[in-house]
This record gives sequence, structure tokens and C-alpha cells, in this order.
Amino acid sequence: MDETSATAAGEARAPNGSEAPLAPGAEPPRESPPAPEPLLEKGHKLESDLDPHGVRRLDPQFVPFQQAVGWIVTATVSASALATVGIVWLAADLPRWGTALLIPTWLLFTLAIGWLSYVWPAIHYRHTSYTLDEEGIEIRSGVWWRQVISVPRSRVQHIDVSQGPMERSYGLGRLVLYTAGTNHSRVELAGLSHGVAFWLRNYLLPRGSDDAV
Amino acid sequence: MPSERRLHPLSFVFDIVGQLRQLVVPGLVVLVGAGSAGLGWQVWLMLFVIPYAIVAIIRSLSFRYRFDTGELVITSGFIFRNERHVPYGRIQNIDAVQNVLHRLVRVVEVRVETGGGDEPEARMRVLPLQALEEMRERVFAGRAAQAGRQPAMATDVVQETQPERRALLALGPRELLLAGFIDSRGLIIVGAAFGLFWEVGLFDPTIDMVFGENESGRGLIRQAVRALLGEGVPSIGRMAILALAFAAFVLVIRLLSMCWSLIRLWGFRLDRIGDDLRAEFGLITRVMATIPIRRVQTVTVRESPLHRLFDTASVRVDSAGGDGAQGGAVKRESLAPIIRRADLPRLLAEVLPDVDISGVTWCPVDPRGFGRALRSSLVMAVLFTMPFILMLGWWTFAWLGVLVVWAWVHSKLYVKHLGWAVGDQAVRFRSGYLWREFTVARFNKIQAVTLAESPFDRRARMASVRVDTAGAANASHRVDIPYLARRVADELYHRLAGAAARTAFRW
Repeated sequence: MDETSATAAGEARAPNGSEAPLAPGAEPPRESPPAPEPLLEKGHKLESDLDPHGVRRLDPQFVPFQQAVGWIVTATVSASALATVGIVWLAADLPRWGTALLIPTWLLFTLAIGWLSYVWPAIHYRHTSYTLDEEGIEIRSGVWWRQVISVPRSRVQHIDVSQGPMERSYGLGRLVLYTAGTNHSRVELAGLSHGVAFWLRNYLLPRGSDDAV
Repeated sequence: MPSERRLHPLSFVFDIVGQLRQLVVPGLVVLVGAGSAGLGWQVWLMLFVIPYAIVAIIRSLSFRYRFDTGELVITSGFIFRNERHVPYGRIQNIDAVQNVLHRLVRVVEVRVETGGGDEPEARMRVLPLQALEEMRERVFAGRAAQAGRQPAMATDVVQETQPERRALLALGPRELLLAGFIDSRGLIIVGAAFGLFWEVGLFDPTIDMVFGENESGRGLIRQAVRALLGEGVPSIGRMAILALAFAAFVLVIRLLSMCWSLIRLWGFRLDRIGDDLRAEFGLITRVMATIPIRRVQTVTVRESPLHRLFDTASVRVDSAGGDGAQGGAVKRESLAPIIRRADLPRLLAEVLPDVDISGVTWCPVDPRGFGRALRSSLVMAVLFTMPFILMLGWWTFAWLGVLVVWAWVHSKLYVKHLGWAVGDQAVRFRSGYLWREFTVARFNKIQAVTLAESPFDRRARMASVRVDTAGAANASHRVDIPYLARRVADELYHRLAGAAARTAFRW
């Protein structure tokens, strides 16, 4: 990841000296709409979304949020696995050792998903980031299968900011960019703080000059 | 100017026929399935037609359109009135379809397509022929007027004011037959017909005749498969007959495909009129499709082994809009069903102005890609063989040997023929060694650029670069460059992303 961001800074990029970190009160980068600041003052710490290289991270709340989702999934899956175990125990004529193995297997299984849903969100968080520049947004994601996707501002057709009930309780929102493309007609960035998502929406909406359809 | 136009007085007839056509296939199924047992349901069907006819008449009477300054205004509906304004600048294509019935009355069905959405913005069933011409003139003149307000488009205006008609491609019967031979699209028709005849039992007498015994034809394939798997030695005579039948089958498919191509693409011509491409083709159903050149998203050239044998190629374009509709499919495949290799640069120069086609130096992918392609093919080969180990016995090793050789040759050729090139205006990607394809995507049509890295990529310090464009059909060839060295991929990604961002996207 270091390697790519190093190249990113060097190659084929408009010189973005002004792309420095964005203090909460400061103006967003040049020519961006002046309005968005008020949205940021809902107790969201924007500094934490930024680091000095202009690489922005998701909201740290995304980790506990995903863990909570993970617990729910774990509980559901584990309960249905337990039901299956029960059915197998009742219906199938298992040898003694087979019966003895059923519960430990289920326990191991539950622990495995539980552990995964505890550990994975942090790993996922570490591997997701985005960068803004004059030209658009670049989103980095994926732990095993990594991808960097660049969506120029001029190609954004419209933008959604959405928030589910659980996301609301964590103050999170997701940004969905729609392009005219085929595979990436919908580019999603989940786990932003809701205010930042709004700010990004305003930042990324195409400016008047590009609007010649 | 805003005098209102109506549909052709006979429109309602075509409306009804269009609806009835959807009932033909289920009707046939019912007929074949139930035999000719009673005609009662047809009478009941008539009852459905009557109210529908009334609705159709009212609908076609209430349909009006007019050419305002800057937009086409369509009003429709009797109870729920609907008025739709379509700015000329947004109109992608005006397509016209004319089948036999249409031609008898000298009318056309017109579809007006705009950028977004799967369906045509307006479907006019049906208009007199002169009305189509008028609509084209008005819309394109209106578009030129709109463009005239922007100084950047000044050159286009000059062209629009005297729309010269220049033939880019005209295909005679010989070329169409060749296209059909190469394409072999008849497979689908034959498959359907074959299945039908088989079910009906038309083949049984033939099969009985061939084998001289009264066995059900349905066992033939099963027997052949069993014979091939080594359960009992197949009789040579029977195998020969099977081979012969297969050869005949392939031949018949080719012949049918040729006929089909002749009928479907009869009198194919591609013209350039001002800034638009217009394709016209069809013997029974005449299709007239208009594609504005600046709406061309990507261009794909395809060369199959047979194409190369006859020194030809076929060209497709993806143009945004009208994706799901039949009209979209027609446009997409038919920029040039077949074209001589020598004429290709000329056509591409028309479709992709200011993209230099001739001087392309293809960059290869990383040579280590061969090892990776080989490894993945080998894994596939082993996985494919596994289930048959018991059945094959010691033959497994021979079989694996063949697969390994094949994987080696395939990977070598596949990686060797991958190539990409970035010019001033566009990115190109080619792939395939038997069925070769290359795609050109202009920077201003790129929607998003992706740099993707799988775990295997990471181990080999490689990555792939993908370009997303509008209107790419599901199976169409896309710019998706695998096996790039990491450094090269990074550079390419930033170059494309930067280039895309610096251009403005126009539909």
C-alpha cells in the first residue's frame, strides 16, 4: 500500500500542494462548495479521518459497528447450527463418538465465526481508505483481493447518502456514487461518519462546467 | 412551428399485431403440446382482442408529437395524459424498423432513444415514411443549433449544415454469405428446430432407416457416450455414421447461418451523414439505426480464425442507451458484420476520429504472466480430471499429459497475444490468439478506472488494470489488462485515471 501511494503522489497527478489535511474549520480544497462545514459539527471528529498524506480513513466507529453486525450474524448462524446439530442428534443413528463430537464441533464453529467477526472489522478498516483530489475520488479496498478504483468527478451521475437504523446509532452513513459505467455503475463507500458522507457528496457533485450532456 | 403531428391512421392495427405476436409462441406451444384438440380457446382469445382494439385506437388517436424549438414534445394518453419533453441534444438515436407489414402500407416503427434507461424514450408505432425523414431532419438540425451555441462545437455545425452522405460500407450477397459462414449464428435456430423435431418424432423414421432396427432414436447419443467411455467396443460402422452425421450437422448449421445472415442483413449499408452513422439492413424486417459518432463508447474488432482465412474482421460498437431493448442489440452488433481487413483502418478512422489507429505499438504484459497462466490452467486441469480418476484408471496419466501440453501451449499463446497501448486519446487492449479481439476506449468515455490485485498478483508483484465504460454488453470484450508488473500497472492506472478526469464526459 505504501508503494502505491508513493507512486500515486508522483505520477500523472495535478500538483496538489493544497491537498493538505483539512482542519475542521478550514476551507475544503480549492473551488469546492463553501457550504459543507456545518454538517461536520455534529460531534464528528474530522481530523481522525485524515492523515498527513491526504489518505483518508473511514470513521473508527465503523469497527465497533461491524463487530456488532458480526455478533448478530454469529448469533444467528450459531443458533441455526445448533438446531441442525439437534436434528442430527435426534434423527441420525450416530455412533457414540460421533455424538460426543457434535457439541465440540458446534462450539468450535461458533468460536471461529465469533473470532472472525471480532478480528475482521479491524483488518477491513486498515485496508480501506480513500483519497480526494481536484479530479475526483480514489477508493482503496479489499484485504485479499485488493482494488483501487478511481472515479473522476466529471463522471459522477448522482450520489446517494444512506443510513440504516444500526448505522444511525453509530453515527455512520454510506456514500454511493453512480456512474454511467457498466461494472462500476454503483461505487459504494460504507463506514463514513454521516457528516463526512454529506460533505463528500457536496464535494464530489459535478461542477457546472462539466454538465454538458 | 408547433403544429402537432399524429401517428399514421392505421397505427392501431400494428399495435394489435405487435401485441398478438407475443401470443404466437405460447399458442404454438399449446398447439404442439395438446395436439389439435379443439379450437375453442381461439374463440375466447378473440374476446380479448376486441377491448384491446378499442384501447389501441384511442391510444393511437391521442398520441401527438410536435417539434418545439430545442425539444421534441410528445403527448399521449386519453384518460391519463402524459406530456414528455425530450431535448434534441439528449436524443441518442432515432431507430426505425420496418417489417413486411409495415412495408406494405409504407410506414415505419420509430424508436427515439436517449442516454439513460433501458427503454426507448419514445416508441412511435407507426409513422409514415416522410414523417421519419422529417423527424430526423428536425432533430438533427435542432441538435446542430444547440451545439452552435457552444463555440467548441463549431466544426460540427459546419458539417451539419450540409449533411453529406458518404458510404462507409456496403455489403453484397457474397459478403453476407461469408459473414454468415463465419459467424455461424444458425446454431440457435437449428438447436431450437432440432429439439422440436426430436420431440415431435420426425427423426425416428430416419434413424430407423440408418440403423435398420427399430430402436428409439433417443438412445443413440447415450449409446455413443457409453461407447466412448470404453464400455464395450463401439462398432466402427456406427461410429462412422455418427461422425458423418456430426459433419453433416455442422454443414447444415453453416448453411442455415448463411441463409439467415443473407435475410437478416440483406442490403447492409453503413453511411456517414454529417456526424452520425446510419446503418440500414434487412430483407424482411428493414432496420434503420442511427448512431451519433460522439456517442460511440467503445469499438471492438473481432477476428476469428475463419475471418483471418478470408482476410476479414467484424466490428462492433457499444453505444450508451437503449440497452435492454431489441433496438440496442441490433445496433451493437451491426456496425460492420464483416469487413475486409484493408478497409478496416478507414472505417475506424471515421468512427474514432482523432484516434491514431495505424501506428499502434502494442505493449506486452509481463512475461512472468506465462508461468501464472500455466499454473492456473494446470490447477484447472487437475480439478477437471479428479472426478474421473476411478473411471479412467491408468489412462489418467495419459489424459493429464495431454492436458499439460495443452495448458502449456494455451498459456504461451494467450500471454503472448495479450497487449495494450495508450495513445493521446484512447486506450486499447487486445486478447485472444484464435479468436482475437481488440477494443478501443476513448479517454472521454472512461467512467472509472480500477487497479486490482489478487493474492496471486501480490505474490508475483503484479496487478491488473480495468476500465469501465458505459453501455458495455455483458459478454462484450472490455479493456481489462491482466498480468501487468506492479510498477507498470500503477503507472497505467494513474495515467488513465488522470486522462479520464481531464476530459469531460459527453453522452
